Amino acid sequence: MLEDEDEVRRKKQRRGRIGMAGSLAGFLVLILAISICEAASIFQPISDSHRSAALDLFKPADGSFASLEETYEALRTFEILGINKKPDLSTATCGTVSKALGSSSSTPKDLFDALRVNSILKCNINAEVFEGIISRLQAAVSGASSLLDFYYSIGSLGLIKDQTSKADLHLSDAEGIFRSIKALSQSDGRWRYSSNNPESSTFAAGIALEALARVVSLASSEVDQSMIGTVKNDILKLFDSIEKYDDGAFYFDEKVVNVPEHSGPLSTSSSVVRGLTAFTTVATGSLNLPGDKILGLAKFFLSIGIPGDAKDFFNQIDSLACLESNRQGFHSTDPVTSIYSGFIDEERKLNGVSPYIGSVLICRLVKVNTVLGSKAPPLTVKLVRAYSTSSKDTSIIEDKELSFDPERVVYFLDALPDSVDVGSYIFVFKVVLHDSEHKDVFVTGTLTHVQIFMTGLVKIGNAEIVVLDNDLGSIETQRKLDLAGENAVSLSANHLQKLRLSFQLTTPRGSAFKPHQAFLKLRHETKVEHVFLVRNSGKKFEITLDFLGLVEKLFYLSGKYDIQLTVGDAVMENSLLSDIGYVELDLPEAPEKAPRPPPQVVDPYSRYGPKAEISHIFRAPEKRPPQELSLTFSGLILLPFIGFLIGLLRLGVNLKNFPTSSVPVAFAILFHVGIAAVLLLYVLFWLKVRLFTRFFHFANDYKSVGHFGSIHDIEDTEFLGSFLDVRWTQDPFTSGLSIIKVEICLRMKEFPLQERVVSIWTLCFKFCRTPFSKLY
Amino acid sequence: MGRKGRMGISHSSSVTLGAPTYIFRIFSVFNVSTQLNSTRVAREMVKLCVLIAAVSLLPILCLSFSPENPTDRRVLVLLDDLSLKSSHSIFFNSIKSRGFDVDFKLADDPKLSLQRYGQYLYDALILFSPSTDRFGGSLDLAGVLDFVDSGHDLVLAADESASDLIRNIATECGVDFDEDSSAIVIDHKSFAVSETEGDHTLIVSDDFIQSDVILGSTKVEAPVLYKGIAHSVNAANSLVLKVLSASPSAYSANPSSKLSNPPLHSGSAISLVSVVQARNNARIMITGSLDMFSNRLLRSGVQKAGDSNKYSKSGNEQFVTELSRWVFHERGHLKAVNLRHHKVGETDEPAIYRINDDLEFSVEIYEWSGKSWEPYVANDVQVQFYMMSPYVLKTLSTDQKGLYHTSFKVPDVYGVFQFKVEYQRLGYTGLSLSKQIPVRPFRHNEYERFIPTAFPYYGASFTTMAGFFIFSIVYLYNK
Repeated sequence: MLEDEDEVRRKKQRRGRIGMAGSLAGFLVLILAISICEAASIFQPISDSHRSAALDLFKPADGSFASLEETYEALRTFEILGINKKPDLSTATCGTVSKALGSSSSTPKDLFDALRVNSILKCNINAEVFEGIISRLQAAVSGASSLLDFYYSIGSLGLIKDQTSKADLHLSDAEGIFRSIKALSQSDGRWRYSSNNPESSTFAAGIALEALARVVSLASSEVDQSMIGTVKNDILKLFDSIEKYDDGAFYFDEKVVNVPEHSGPLSTSSSVVRGLTAFTTVATGSLNLPGDKILGLAKFFLSIGIPGDAKDFFNQIDSLACLESNRQGFHSTDPVTSIYSGFIDEERKLNGVSPYIGSVLICRLVKVNTVLGSKAPPLTVKLVRAYSTSSKDTSIIEDKELSFDPERVVYFLDALPDSVDVGSYIFVFKVVLHDSEHKDVFVTGTLTHVQIFMTGLVKIGNAEIVVLDNDLGSIETQRKLDLAGENAVSLSANHLQKLRLSFQLTTPRGSAFKPHQAFLKLRHETKVEHVFLVRNSGKKFEITLDFLGLVEKLFYLSGKYDIQLTVGDAVMENSLLSDIGYVELDLPEAPEKAPRPPPQVVDPYSRYGPKAEISHIFRAPEKRPPQELSLTFSGLILLPFIGFLIGLLRLGVNLKNFPTSSVPVAFAILFHVGIAAVLLLYVLFWLKVRLFTRFFHFANDYKSVGHFGSIHDIEDTEFLGSFLDVRWTQDPFTSGLSIIKVEICLRMKEFPLQERVVSIWTLCFKFCRTPFSKLY
Repeated sequence: MGRKGRMGISHSSSVTLGAPTYIFRIFSVFNVSTQLNSTRVAREMVKLCVLIAAVSLLPILCLSFSPENPTDRRVLVLLDDLSLKSSHSIFFNSIKSRGFDVDFKLADDPKLSLQRYGQYLYDALILFSPSTDRFGGSLDLAGVLDFVDSGHDLVLAADESASDLIRNIATECGVDFDEDSSAIVIDHKSFAVSETEGDHTLIVSDDFIQSDVILGSTKVEAPVLYKGIAHSVNAANSLVLKVLSASPSAYSANPSSKLSNPPLHSGSAISLVSVVQARNNARIMITGSLDMFSNRLLRSGVQKAGDSNKYSKSGNEQFVTELSRWVFHERGHLKAVNLRHHKVGETDEPAIYRINDDLEFSVEIYEWSGKSWEPYVANDVQVQFYMMSPYVLKTLSTDQKGLYHTSFKVPDVYGVFQFKVEYQRLGYTGLSLSKQIPVRPFRHNEYERFIPTAFPYYGASFTTMAGFFIFSIVYLYNK
């Protein structure tokens, strides 16, 4: 990369000697991006993190990139960043390049990409191949109508000229081509892609400038200066449309609404910068571009940081390289980066120790380098003035030159005046170039404002917490506190008392210090928090909580309040968060209309989680006597019967009255068998209840009976059970069912009377024919 | 907005309306178009068009969000500056590399639209446009909320420039950003040691929510860098969770001006990143730091002030990636299928149980892994046997393959019961299943018979009967 620069510079010098002696008034764009401990806007130059990111972003899949365009972007990025450990692509890619160059179906864009890759890889391409392409490209140039056609074909020709050192490769009608490209330009400096596309684009302007630069360099004779002059005018107009960020960064953006992919401010600005660089390299005469805009562009590219997209990364690096390499019309930017260094602590003069340990830290090393991180030319860094952010009118340092440490290539401030205390300061730097020659080449920022925080250890003393009696102000309880250490104070107070907390803060220089954050926090057991600001008078900080006035604010919540004190500031090294202890407050009962404490956020861990298991407690079975007892009583129950039988025998009963004639005998037997059958039925019912149930079920299940007593659901689609089911079940459908369902359950399906009679007869007939055993 | 937010009125309700509806409406669309044309020729033409449209829409429809494939597919990113695409590319690339179809648009794009013909074009929305006062096209606050109400996901990042629109969206989701538009989170104790930041607004936090499902099973080792505004979660909203909280020393104020009043937000009550798991399974992530997703903070090393541990890389990348996985339903999305129950020893599901029956209950629960349904393993799934209140609540045992089962005895109370599985866990989508089943009492012939205790009564009856029989003979024929 450095070699590249040298070459460019040599070329320029050569050209300068030949034709345009001393006419170029260039600038050195010096971005003064000082990032001392704190800068309002920091522009870090390209560093090693960019290099590692580049290797991450440009990762070839299977040894090669998807397209030659991507390959070029990767190779170019690696080249600019000076990455040596790049993946080896040459063999595979050179094959693709020669294939693209040799193929007759390649479009000018393919050729352009292939040639661009070749310009870096320097593949072995046959000279005849080039000859064939040249004629094709020449034809394409003369037949071109759109800007991109011009760009690719002229660009390819230019690349061939560079790669083959063919001195006689010229464009036949350079001025004509120049004019036809120029014809696409708009009055505001932007370009159209083609004559029948009315939309003008800033991106296209960059492309056009690049193409025009190629045309000039390919021209056989010098191009008319007036035409170059008009293009320069276009560039200036284009710069009028530049946009600005708050932090001083400038960028170009498309004005059209429907922006295609990859045409954000970055690619647009990048395109313009590339075109501008190319054009100013070939054009003679000063452009007189405003230095702060060039500086702003460099800031814009640097402010992006490390882009995550390969295309953006290439655009950023390539543009910065353009800004840095071009030593002609305008110039690259040299950001001044500063890093923190040592301490001005009297006790320990340490270097290289973590900056957050010392008592007062001053950042005073200023590093200057270019956008790509290389060395800046000899220069002096001046500290114009430094002032505190709180009092802008009084300067603490004025007009001081920084010393230079050639070993570490940094500029530093030797000493700080004693008046500098902890706080935030603005340092104003200015870069003065030693060499007047460089002034033509580099653009420096005018004044760079850098915010610097002087941090230090703040002394905390005389801390105490007191409970006061309201009426007399007499001290009830008093506790000394060590705010830096542990405290566990336990106090109690009621609503008629006051709580006073006081402490002192002193800066290392012994003056009063007012931190940004000085809070006293009271936290009730129910997690209701109250924050109070602790105010100061001079060095002394004091807060008095009059509980009588605070009861409403405290929502009348009595109980334990944890006390927490937070003191912090950006410049305070020893910011503290101290749990002082607690105070037990005894507040009156809340009146009815008192405000309720706000609802607190429920702990998410307790909100979710399994519930406690529930198991049903079953009704205990009824108590029963032991079986032996029951059997014994059963035996005892038989005794009267046995006694009855014995009594009958004792009485000497006989059956002599039993009829003898046949008819009365038959009737007597029939009578007693009848009684026996009734009694037997009772016994059977007891023993074999199932049989009876079965009988009725059978009657119901029997298909030929039809829907005898069947009960359906409300839609009449689902069979719920038989009429008998309902009857035989004590309470089949519970109160959970709707009353309608119960009604439906009890509704019998209507049959014609005759049919029902027939059905019943059929049933009886079938039942009689069924074997008895089946009924079980 | 702010007042309403602070008073806590009805924020939670808006995100919880309605159940997810993922019905494709393509057929109704076609019907409408056919009705518009009366002539036959036109109808033929329409048929052809419909066919072409259907064929071309088919792949899109197949890819879209569905209950069976709950991971989002199409993500719309709204930016207020296209350069964010590049400066936040690591985050976007990680989303793209997971197979999402990411569509970038400017927030004021006049063609902006979330739905067409009543059907949503995207499954998730990323709002990286904090300064947008109003969206372009037809999109507005109500549009974004409807999007969420219909079960879609939202990622919202704000910063100091947060507009009222963005604040309102957050408020509707149960998150209140600091009303003071110049306030940012400052922490003088737990800030990032940095060469370039001195006002302690680049803070570090490692106070994560303890949930593997939200943040992944790998612990986020390095703290997260944060630079942005504070918000608090609305206590009235039970669905919003603080994922990343600030340290107790943090506060929200304007760093360049002196404080005249106590800050509205301070300490651990400040939430840096919050998420919402709505009842319709929509997921929302809200943060006050757009920088948190930026390549700069993702790549940056981190060292907490006063801590000697220096990490070469901040926890941001892991944190935002894992959180986006959760938001886009690549994790923590459950489904329950095959809810079954039957009597012990049987396999068929009965229509009714009798009291005191022993039953077996089982349900299968699966978790969506982003590609497939994996068995969900947990030991805290519970079933309730419920009638007005749970009669039985039992923890299910699992076979580690997604099947959860248990057995219990039906209570001796009859009525219409429900099997209920209510599973709400931190970070998981909620499961709510129920199945109705009636329980009947014993039939009269199902009671115990031949009880020995009753033998004396039976004995008395039967001996009386026998005695009657004998007495009737003796009385009639004795001489």
